[in-house]
Amino acid sequence: MRTLVIVPAFNEALNLPSVIQQLRGCDCEDVCVVDDGSTDDTCNVAARMGAIVLRNPFNLGIGGAVQTGYLWARDHGYDVAAQIDGDGQHDPAYLRAALELIASGKADVVVGGRFGAANGFRSSFVRRLGIRYLAWLIRLRCGARVSDPTSGFRVVGRAGIELFAQHYPSDYPEPEAIALAQRSGLRVTEISVRMRAREHGKSSIDSFRTLYYLLKVSLALLLLPSLRRREAFDTNLAV
Amino acid sequence: MNDSSLLPSELRLFAGASLFLLLGWVLRLIRRQELGLRESLLWLVSTSVALSLVLFPALLLRVAQILHVQVPANALFAAAFLYVLVNLLSTTIAVSRNAARARRLSQECAILRAEITELRRTLKLGPQR
Repeated sequence: MRTLVIVPAFNEALNLPSVIQQLRGCDCEDVCVVDDGSTDDTCNVAARMGAIVLRNPFNLGIGGAVQTGYLWARDHGYDVAAQIDGDGQHDPAYLRAALELIASGKADVVVGGRFGAANGFRSSFVRRLGIRYLAWLIRLRCGARVSDPTSGFRVVGRAGIELFAQHYPSDYPEPEAIALAQRSGLRVTEISVRMRAREHGKSSIDSFRTLYYLLKVSLALLLLPSLRRREAFDTNLAV
Repeated sequence: MNDSSLLPSELRLFAGASLFLLLGWVLRLIRRQELGLRESLLWLVSTSVALSLVLFPALLLRVAQILHVQVPANALFAAAFLYVLVNLLSTTIAVSRNAARARRLSQECAILRAEITELRRTLKLGPQR
């Protein structure tokens, strides 16, 4: 199974080397760093580490960046694509379990959730409440059972690559992408992963943006297009 | 009731002239190919409707009666507001569509750039600047 690891990175020159090194340690040969309009040395660092570098000419946001990776995976015939944040929060050691789920055909999309048993994930009460609410909303809207829909740790098979290359939400896309996958008939499962604290830099979601996040994602989930309608609003506008 | 009792003549003259100028401007932009016909169709249609309401206030009176608006001039203001809203929405739709296109184009750019880098490496041409 050819596997591509997609690492979206925006100004992550400091965190990238250790992320890529860890990926190499987990037998992930094909690492694709999507430099989403960084102003630091991200693309050179990634290239020096031997990663495939996809460089967006300007900042598209996490959704657009990740989709660039899925397009590359689709065009180069990868069977599996994994998505790992460039800030070093995700431990690539958990990739193996997720890859096995895909390989055995038990799932099409695997999400690495932070709320499992063997997990020391701590975050603010409000944030946990928000995540639980989104998990509930996703289950209500499309039936996917995921406890941590905001996690950016994803592994998808061929069908997921095709779907996400074609359609990927923008602006806080993670929960919406799960709903989209489930609506498109893909099986979404969750495994428990442990998150680490970031080594450098700050999370892009501060308390001020939490409200916007919840509002935007709620609306997106409530207005989730049906399959037929989504075809009509295809964002792949290539003629 | 004659037309000037429905709408003051000055108002009709001013609104009519403004809309007429606007219509002429839109047509001129289309002729000079600075505005796509597809995008400007809504402007043409909505401006023509607005112009006919101003030129034939009897129409406006009918609209006012249907909506139970006491003063026809108020119906005109309401219509003007609606006219702006509709055209603004169509502009927002165009902006959204273009944003989606720009996103896909820059993704294609990123991919092509990576392909070129790969090619140059295999051809031993050295890195591009």
